Amino acid sequence: MSAVTDTPPPAYRRARRRWAAPALFLLPAALLFVAFLAIPICYALYLSFRGMRMAGGGPFGVRQETWVGLDNYAAVFTDPELLAGLGRLAIYGAIAVPLTLGLALTFALLLDLPRVRGARFSRTAIFIPYAVPGVVATLLWGFLYLPSTSPAGWILERVGLGGIDVLHGPMIFPSVANIAIWGGVGFNMIILYTSLRGIPVDVYEAARLDGASEWDIAYRIKIPLVAPALTLTGLFALIGTLQVYGEPTTLRPMTSAISQTWVPLMLIYRDAFTRDNLSLAAASSVVLALGTLVVSVILLRVTQKRSFGES
Amino acid sequence: MMRRTVPVMATLSAVALALTACSSGAGSGGADPDDGGPITLDYWAWGTAQQPMVDAWNAANPDIQVKRTDAGGGTDSSAKLVTATRAGNAPDVAIVEYNTLPAMIVAGVAGDISEHADGLDDEFAPGVWSQVTFDSATYGVPQDAGPQALTYNKARLDELGIEVPATWDEFAEAAEKVHEADPDTYLTTFAPAEFGGFAGYAQQAGAEWWSVDGDTWTVDIDDDASVAVADYWQDLIDRDLVLAEPMLTPEWNAKVNEGEVLSWPAGLWAAGVLYGVAEESAGDWAMAPLPQWEEGDPAVGFQGGSAVVVTTSTEHPEAAAEFARWMGTADEASAAQIEQGQYPASLAGQELTLASDPPLLMPQQEDYWETAAEITRATIPEISWGPNVNVASSAFQDAMSTAVTDGTPLRDALTETEAEVVDDMRTTGFEVTQK
Repeated sequence: MSAVTDTPPPAYRRARRRWAAPALFLLPAALLFVAFLAIPICYALYLSFRGMRMAGGGPFGVRQETWVGLDNYAAVFTDPELLAGLGRLAIYGAIAVPLTLGLALTFALLLDLPRVRGARFSRTAIFIPYAVPGVVATLLWGFLYLPSTSPAGWILERVGLGGIDVLHGPMIFPSVANIAIWGGVGFNMIILYTSLRGIPVDVYEAARLDGASEWDIAYRIKIPLVAPALTLTGLFALIGTLQVYGEPTTLRPMTSAISQTWVPLMLIYRDAFTRDNLSLAAASSVVLALGTLVVSVILLRVTQKRSFGES
Repeated sequence: MMRRTVPVMATLSAVALALTACSSGAGSGGADPDDGGPITLDYWAWGTAQQPMVDAWNAANPDIQVKRTDAGGGTDSSAKLVTATRAGNAPDVAIVEYNTLPAMIVAGVAGDISEHADGLDDEFAPGVWSQVTFDSATYGVPQDAGPQALTYNKARLDELGIEVPATWDEFAEAAEKVHEADPDTYLTTFAPAEFGGFAGYAQQAGAEWWSVDGDTWTVDIDDDASVAVADYWQDLIDRDLVLAEPMLTPEWNAKVNEGEVLSWPAGLWAAGVLYGVAEESAGDWAMAPLPQWEEGDPAVGFQGGSAVVVTTSTEHPEAAAEFARWMGTADEASAAQIEQGQYPASLAGQELTLASDPPLLMPQQEDYWETAAEITRATIPEISWGPNVNVASSAFQDAMSTAVTDGTPLRDALTETEAEVVDDMRTTGFEVTQK
């Protein structure tokens, strides 16, 4: 140290001091990041190149973990179920994402209207489903869907119309999406509503002086100004779609229409725990994570210019 | 790779040893197992019969105390056993279903207990004993048996004037009559996810899904017998004579309670399960032997039933084996099982049922246990399960569900299942021939 203090280039010393404090403050976060994110990710990567293979001979030889190279990735990319799962996810997402965002935006705009009555109550009422845990919500909806336990089925039968079975065939997609929409609208609405409240009121006054109707204000001022929030909620919704797991898994015992590999995460779970193939599950997870990353980056790139006004 | 793994594993297991030594020391008041002080065994088991059995053991064996954990039913529990074994914190003893036992052996969960199994084979019928013996090594003590029988709603069938079917042909006729008499009512359910049930029907018809000769496995899930069974159910589904829906859902339970689902051909434990969902209809039900493919042939397959295994992770293999033996053979243990509606696997336990009350679902059926004993005598010995029944079961569930939903042939689902099973075995490195 003395050598350093003897020939003190002041700029260097200042630079050192500037680095020490941030590094110290960053240390806890960095440690947590390494322990709970970096290491697990590396371990998953490592696992994805390993596999359980027969060690000794014999019909009941014990399997041991060995290096299998890209076998797992080959299996992932040739698995028709993963592709089919992504296809089902796309249908689900095509229903759930626009409806969730559309309803959330509609409710937020309605609540933001001047002199709207019962705003506080409505806001809470729309938000409450978000507070219901996903599994509970799914069970609740499951009972409503099953004809014998559903009050709707009971009424339809009394009226003379046969019950509608919403857990069969293509109806399964809106049925599952409905649960996510019911739970997700409130959360998205709050984000959009908060963003709306952040717009200065003078903008609206100026618009009104120019003769704009509430509709014009919503369409020409509010929506463009909350575009960053819309992008954010859209990104959340997209990632949420890729991570769908709880709702279909909880509904699965009630219907034959949901397989164990209905969506990619269910496939990963099945491989890891039902089929005891952690390595294959790790490989699928890596692929899915990279896919999510790519899709997110593309979405942000596409919307960046419009919503954040950056070039 | 191996050379680097071994020291790590050694360190890990040393740490695990140290940790378990600490915990068992703390748990038993600082007594060291080597001093002959009391030891504690961890035991994973599901079902209502287990806690009374464990309590009885603990009262009689102050030196070997057992702590029971309910780690979920058969599928969940075995998945957790595999994970826990890898993580080095598996219990000492656990319950494993017969059809999952081979998978537990190749996953390194179930340990060889042959050296603690002297004379144990005399306690069981050969068919049951063969479920826990592989390559002349013993990997568990049978606890309960699940020969298939027909549990049916006698009150409703009497009301509709239908006799209990003795053959599957009669069963189909009965299904037709039931549905004619009341279009909302079905004789039974074909739940596409019921792998064990279908496997039992196929075994009864003579199917042999896995067999082993030397080091080579033969897999034949779409053999003629199985295809015939698939076609039989296909016909009933196509004519809308059975309810092709998942079972034990709120929907199904409601139908059972309303008397709209009248029977369940399943393991003898079905009485207990049905009592759980339709307690109010107790007394309406009865049990009869499973319908037969050919008249006069009494053979039936197994569905469910489980064994007590000693894990490879245990530090007290001897004590664990002693406990496992007691759980499978002691009269006190059998009595607790019978009380909860389980059918004991041991000959002595089965003898004991004859002096017991019928299960709660059919308190009026005086000959329940005699019938059960007759059925058990006719179960097919030498049923062999493969090392990846978990794969077969999951592939079967999805393939069958898709077939039922899309209206494609059930027999194709068997072929798909077989392809997945063989593929998995080959990837793992088994020698497999496919029929």
